[in-house]
Amino acid sequence: MNSSDKGKKGETASGKILPVEGDFRKTIKGLLKKLLEKGTLDAVLIPVKAPETDAFAWVLLNDEALLDAADPLPPVMTVQGGRALSNITKHGEVTFNIGALMRPCEIRAAVELYKLKQIRLDNIHLISIDCPGAMPLQEYMKEPEKTAKTYEGIIKKEEKNEALRPVCQVCQRFSLIKETSSSESEQHQPSADLHIGFFGGGGKNICLIPETSKGKELMETLEMSSDDSLKDWETAVENKRKDVLKKRESFDNDWREKIGGLDNFTTALDTCINCHNCMRVCPVCYCQQCYFDSTMLQNTPETYLGRAKEKGALRFPIDPVLFHLGRMSHMALSCVSCGACEDACPMSVPVGQIFSMVGDRTQQSFNYVPGNNRAEALPLQSFMEDEFCEVEIPCECEQTVSGKA
Amino acid sequence: MAKALKINKNTEEGLLQFLEFLLENGKVEGIFTLKKLNETGAVTYSLITNTEELKKAVPLSPFMPVNAGKVLSYFTLAEKTERPVAAVLHPCELRAFIELVKRVQGSMDNILLISTTCGGVFPMAFMNNGNAAEQLSPYKESVKKAEIFENTRETCQGCENFIPHLADITVLMVGKKDTDKECVICLNSAKGEKFASEAPGNAVSAEVESAETEKLTSKRKEHKEKLFENYDKNRLGISGLSKIFAACLGCHACGEACPICHCTLCDFDSKTCEYRPESFDSELERKGGLKIPPGTLFYHLGRMSHMAVSCIACGMCSDVCPVDIPVSDVFIKAGDALQDVFQYDPGKDVEEPVPWGVFKEEEFKEVGEK
Repeated sequence: MNSSDKGKKGETASGKILPVEGDFRKTIKGLLKKLLEKGTLDAVLIPVKAPETDAFAWVLLNDEALLDAADPLPPVMTVQGGRALSNITKHGEVTFNIGALMRPCEIRAAVELYKLKQIRLDNIHLISIDCPGAMPLQEYMKEPEKTAKTYEGIIKKEEKNEALRPVCQVCQRFSLIKETSSSESEQHQPSADLHIGFFGGGGKNICLIPETSKGKELMETLEMSSDDSLKDWETAVENKRKDVLKKRESFDNDWREKIGGLDNFTTALDTCINCHNCMRVCPVCYCQQCYFDSTMLQNTPETYLGRAKEKGALRFPIDPVLFHLGRMSHMALSCVSCGACEDACPMSVPVGQIFSMVGDRTQQSFNYVPGNNRAEALPLQSFMEDEFCEVEIPCECEQTVSGKA
Repeated sequence: MAKALKINKNTEEGLLQFLEFLLENGKVEGIFTLKKLNETGAVTYSLITNTEELKKAVPLSPFMPVNAGKVLSYFTLAEKTERPVAAVLHPCELRAFIELVKRVQGSMDNILLISTTCGGVFPMAFMNNGNAAEQLSPYKESVKKAEIFENTRETCQGCENFIPHLADITVLMVGKKDTDKECVICLNSAKGEKFASEAPGNAVSAEVESAETEKLTSKRKEHKEKLFENYDKNRLGISGLSKIFAACLGCHACGEACPICHCTLCDFDSKTCEYRPESFDSELERKGGLKIPPGTLFYHLGRMSHMAVSCIACGMCSDVCPVDIPVSDVFIKAGDALQDVFQYDPGKDVEEPVPWGVFKEEEFKEVGEK
């Protein structure tokens, strides 16, 4: 059992309970303003609604007036926050203090990118927030007001709703969730520095939970202790998680059935136009030039005709299924089920749901939770001699493993 | 009057019979055309090499899942095809292919280009909601009457270039009242005539352009002018463009779908457009707030400066945009203006060089230094 588990099973979580003044978004922005004023943070990375439009975008700001247009929990996820943060810190550490307020899946993506050396976390304060999910981006763009209104209803009821993106409906990591993973080391470095909870608060209060020394530093600036018992929040999160895990199980089973085998998988991806937009918005797909966009797959007309003749026809652009399988094998272990891929698909292929299911199951077999522990190595980077010997041919070490078990 | 072939079947069946003739008689080794994916109306481009698979072809399906000019370029990028193939494509896809050939991204050699007078295509999203099939018959009726079909792409509704000028073979659709009964295939070039020789059907004379196509041209022109009224100079200034592109994710799907954007690695996806953290710091000091990722509008302006002179107005960019930005409206408006300045008609003449490839010392003195 690692340290995070001990912490969880032992006692009730503690933090600071804050009364909401009017609107929880306003309360959160007030805290950020204070952190900027006092100089603990030099800038905040947060979604902001562009003036005179319905569009949300990530804005790195130090102008407090700009914070007024910010939304700590917008109805949609535009650019994945992990990706946004990578954009700033990919080429070196920032020398000023940034507070990045993101959804839990964005924080987890940021941690995966940190492990993949695409993000520096020096001077970055990751602040996560309880997430009820997000609305489908394309739906929001078509009917912004109506979609935003529906979302507010979902937040107030704090329950899952079928209007949310499908992957959000089955997201089991919607809050500060502590999970055991494969790491045998005692070291656990939490993903977020500070978590903002509002589940179980009935709209009347929110809570702040510092997770790291950076988080504690923010609390100190705010002149807040973190001794309040967070029983209500914890119960709300636990109940919700229980409910979602059930849904998750049937979701995984359904999709497994739907896409099992090459034929079913191909059918599920039928309308894919091979535009690779899923890859370009994926926070984990960070390669500057994807293999599948390179000239490596380029062939001569003679070869294409030869391939066509084998089956009587060859689809163009070629090999969309190979692209998805290739991408999947590269990133599924780090897939944070954020659904950015599905939001960005011009053909509404359920690519987020498919990758989420495959990611979930692959991660389970490695006992790995992406973005859970900053200190935990990526499974593909750690070699264990006795791992997965059941897939080796011939299976010589089976005896040893079962003997151990 | 041009030579033509008349087949006494409805236009789609007639065309399929003609394609089957090409394949069966070894005139071509394969045919690029749209093929059914399933029964919901979803289609894909496919290189078909046998007649059994050809039965699933829907060459006249009003969809453009990818610009076929890009497909033909991909096919012939490494080298020209030694064996003849035919390709059935929409006029704007043909123009895109011509532009790509001029940019040394493909070869027309041994490709029989078949196109139609085009009634426009549906937005791709129609493939997903499963109601493409019920739109088909009102679409066909509207094409027969040379009218604008309101459920086609916005770009198509304002497209005046629906006559495929460089096609070897043109299937007549717009304003043809009898497409349910007959298929008229115009043989525009010697190449077209050669491939069609001995094809079943009656030799007749026909014209691609008619009073009916003129009628549609003027309707489309009117539609386009009306659309462009929304994009006057005030709206296309930096602040206007910032608003139009406010929701841009920087995903570059538009560039990826664009047939003219052929670079393997776009400059805007390269290291050139990545910044060190210090630059964020200094920009932040200057502005108080920065959109992240930065440069989403810069990307569109850069892409525009690279490709607008060759923009063939296919509308792929708008169709793939996940946040519904009317990319093609802006790009077509800029493309039209730029093409006017250079008196350049993209995709109309394979011999005419792309303006960017030509240097004239005495050109545009009015914008230079006095």
